[in-house]
Amino acid sequence: MTVTAPATTTATATIISVRKTRRRDRPPSRIRQSFGERIAPYVYIAPFFVIFAVFGLFPLVFTFYVALFDWNPIGEQTFVGLANFERLFQDPRFWNAFVNTFGIFLLSTIPQLALALGLAHLLNQATLKWANFFRMALLVPYITSVAATALVFAQIFDRNFGLINWVLNIFGIPDVNFLASQVGSWVVISSMVMWRWFGYNTLLYLAGLQAVPREMYEAASVDGASGWQQFIHLSIPSLRPIIIFTVIMSTIGGLQIFTEPLLVAPESGLTCGGGRQCQTLALFLYEQGFGQFEFGYGSAIGVALFVIVVVVSLVNFYLTTRTRKAR
Amino acid sequence: MNRRKLALPIAALGALALLISGCSGGSGSGSEAGDPNAEFEFWSFTGIGQKDSVDRYLEKNPDAKVKLSEVGSTTETATALTAALAGGRVPDLVMIQNDDLPKFVENPGNFVDLRTLGGDDIGDGYLDWAIDGATAEDGSIIGIPTDVGGLAFAYRADLFEKAGLPTDPAEVAKMWSTWDDFIAMGEKYTEATGEPFVDNVETSVFFSTVNQVSQKYYTPEGELIYDTNPEVEEAFDVAVRAYEAGLSADIPAWSSGWAPGKANGAFAVTTAPSWILSGLKNDAPDTEGKWRIASIPGVGGNWGGSVIAIPARAENKEAAWQYIETMLSPEGQTEHFATTGTFPAAEAALESDEVKSYTDPFYGDSPIGQIMSESVLNFQSFYNGPDTSAIGAALLNALVDMQAGNIAPEDAWQQGLDSAKAAIGG
Repeated sequence: MTVTAPATTTATATIISVRKTRRRDRPPSRIRQSFGERIAPYVYIAPFFVIFAVFGLFPLVFTFYVALFDWNPIGEQTFVGLANFERLFQDPRFWNAFVNTFGIFLLSTIPQLALALGLAHLLNQATLKWANFFRMALLVPYITSVAATALVFAQIFDRNFGLINWVLNIFGIPDVNFLASQVGSWVVISSMVMWRWFGYNTLLYLAGLQAVPREMYEAASVDGASGWQQFIHLSIPSLRPIIIFTVIMSTIGGLQIFTEPLLVAPESGLTCGGGRQCQTLALFLYEQGFGQFEFGYGSAIGVALFVIVVVVSLVNFYLTTRTRKAR
Repeated sequence: MNRRKLALPIAALGALALLISGCSGGSGSGSEAGDPNAEFEFWSFTGIGQKDSVDRYLEKNPDAKVKLSEVGSTTETATALTAALAGGRVPDLVMIQNDDLPKFVENPGNFVDLRTLGGDDIGDGYLDWAIDGATAEDGSIIGIPTDVGGLAFAYRADLFEKAGLPTDPAEVAKMWSTWDDFIAMGEKYTEATGEPFVDNVETSVFFSTVNQVSQKYYTPEGELIYDTNPEVEEAFDVAVRAYEAGLSADIPAWSSGWAPGKANGAFAVTTAPSWILSGLKNDAPDTEGKWRIASIPGVGGNWGGSVIAIPARAENKEAAWQYIETMLSPEGQTEHFATTGTFPAAEAALESDEVKSYTDPFYGDSPIGQIMSESVLNFQSFYNGPDTSAIGAALLNALVDMQAGNIAPEDAWQQGLDSAKAAIGG
C-alpha cells in the first residue's frame, strides 16, 4: 500500500489538471461531443451498479422494511413496528444461535489459520521434494462439494457406526455422541470447515512467502537461525497483510456458516439437533423465514446478523489499522 | 456538470427498464382455458409414486397432457408452493402433506374451493378427519385427500422369539394393547436381550400417542391449549416413561444410524406408517421375512398422508380437476394402493377387499391391509391449527434432547413447553 499510494495521488492530480486545461481551451461547440466521452465510463460500469442495486441493495433495504411487519407470504401483512426485534432479543433461540455461531467460528478459524501458516512454511522450504504435488493436493478438499463433505463427516462422527468411535473403542473409551452435545457438535462442524478451507489459506500464505527473497532465509540459516526461529521472525512478519486478509475473509464466511450445520444432522431438519445445539444464526434465519414462513421475524434476524457482521468487521478494521500504526 | 450527474441515474434507469420489461414478458402459455385435456402442471413430492398415477391417468385419458414435476421432499414442495403463491408462477395441481396443510388452509383464498367444481358433497366419500384437515373456516374445501399415513408398528419376530415374546401379530397387539403394557413388554425384552426395544421414543412413541387424543394443541374453535391439555401431557409422559424404562436406542428416524440399526437388530420395534414400509425394505433387504406388522397400542393412529389442491391462479383448472375426478375416486385410490402401497383416504377404498387382504412376504404375510385400515378408521379427528407442526416439533425436540442426555426426564416437558412457546412467538 505504501508504495502505490503516492503514484495514485500523482495520477489523480494529472487527470484533474488535464481536465481543467481542456475545459478552458475548448470552444463551446465541442462540449456536445465530449458529453458522450464523459458518460461512456459510467455506462461501462453501469451493469455492475444496476445488478448490485437490483440483487444487492434492494433486497438489503427491503429486508429492513419487511422486518417491521408480521409478514405472511401467502396471507396478511401487518405493520408491527419494532415488535420483531423486541421478540428477537428475548428469544433464547436467538442467543443460542449467536453463541453457536461464534463458538464454531472460533473453533474452526484459529486452528485452521495456525495449521495453514505452518504448512505454508513447510511447503516453502527449498529442500522439499515434490513441492508442486503437495501444493496441488492442498486444493482437493476445497474443490470437494460441501454436501459430500458433510455426509462423510457425519458418518465418521456417527455415534453408533462411526469411524472415530470405533477407534476410541479400541482404546477402551466408550462411544461418544458428538452431535448430541453443544461442544461436540461444534467440533464436528469446525473440523468440516477446517478440512475444507485450510488448503485455500495455505496457498494464500505460500504465495505471500514466495515473495520473500530466498536470500533472506539463506542469510538467516547462515547466521544460525533454526527453522522455528525463521518461521517466527521471518515468515510471520512478512505475511502480516495476508494474515489480516484471511482473518477478515474467515470472519465473514464463518459468521454466515449455513450448509455444514444444515447437512450434518439432516434428521433434525433446520434446528441442527433436538436442543438446537449446533443451530447457527444463518440456519435460525432460514428456519424462521422459510421453515415457519415468518418472513418478518426472519428478516429481523437478517438485520441482526447484518449488524453483527458490520460490528465484527469494524473491530477487525480497528485492529488492522492499529497494527499498521504500531509498525 | 449537471449532465454528468444525470448520466448515472439515466444508465441505471435504462437497464432497470430492460429488466422490468423482461420480467413481465412471458405470460399465458396459449392453451385454452376450460379445456379438460389441456396440458397442466402437477407438482408432487418424491417417494409417493405419483409417476404411476399419472401413467395410469394417461392410459385412461389418451388425449390428456400432464407435466409432472417431482419437486423434492414434502417440506421442499410446501416451501416451493409458498414461494409460488407469494408471487411466482403457480402449478395447476399440487400435493400438500398433511403436516404442512394448516398453514395453507388458514389462507383459503390462495386455492380453488373444490366445492365450486365438484359440488357441496365432494368430501363425503373420504375419511372425516382427512377432509376436515383440508376444510377452511369458511367451509371451503381446498384439497382432496390422496392418501393417509395409517399407523402400525413393525417388529422383528426373530428377536421377539429370542426374548421369549409372542411373534404372531394378533398376539403381539393383544399383549401391548395399552401403552403401559407396551412399556412392560419392552422391559421384558431388554431384560432378556440387553438390547433396547424401540429405535427412539420421539417418533415411535410420542408421534403415536399424541395423535390418539380427542383434542391436541387447539380446541375445535382454534384456541391454543397445548400447554394445559392433560391429554398432550399424558402422551408426552408415556414417551418419557418409555425412555426411563430403558427402551430407547436413541436412534432418530432418518439419522445415519437408522438404516444400519434396522438391518443389524439394534432395536426390535419401529413405527411403520404405510409409506415407510417400502423404505424399511430398502434399508434392510437382508431381514426379509423377519419383520411383522401389528397395530399400535391404544386406539389407532395416523402419521402423514396428503391432499391434492388447485391454486386459485392456476391456468388450467379444468384439466387439473379432471385428473382429481379420475384418479381420486375410491376405485382410483384402490388401484394406486395396489401399485404403490400408499394407503387410500376414500372410505370405500378402505373397505375394499384389495386393501383389506393386502399382505407382503417381506413382513411375514402379516395382515397389513387389515391392520392399517382399522388403524385409520379408528383414528379420531381433532383440529390442527397453523402452529400445530411447530409445537409438535418443539415437543419432539425436547424428547430428542432428553435421550441425548442433555436434559433430565423430569425437566423435558417444561423444556418442550418453553421452546413451543418461543416457536409460536410467546
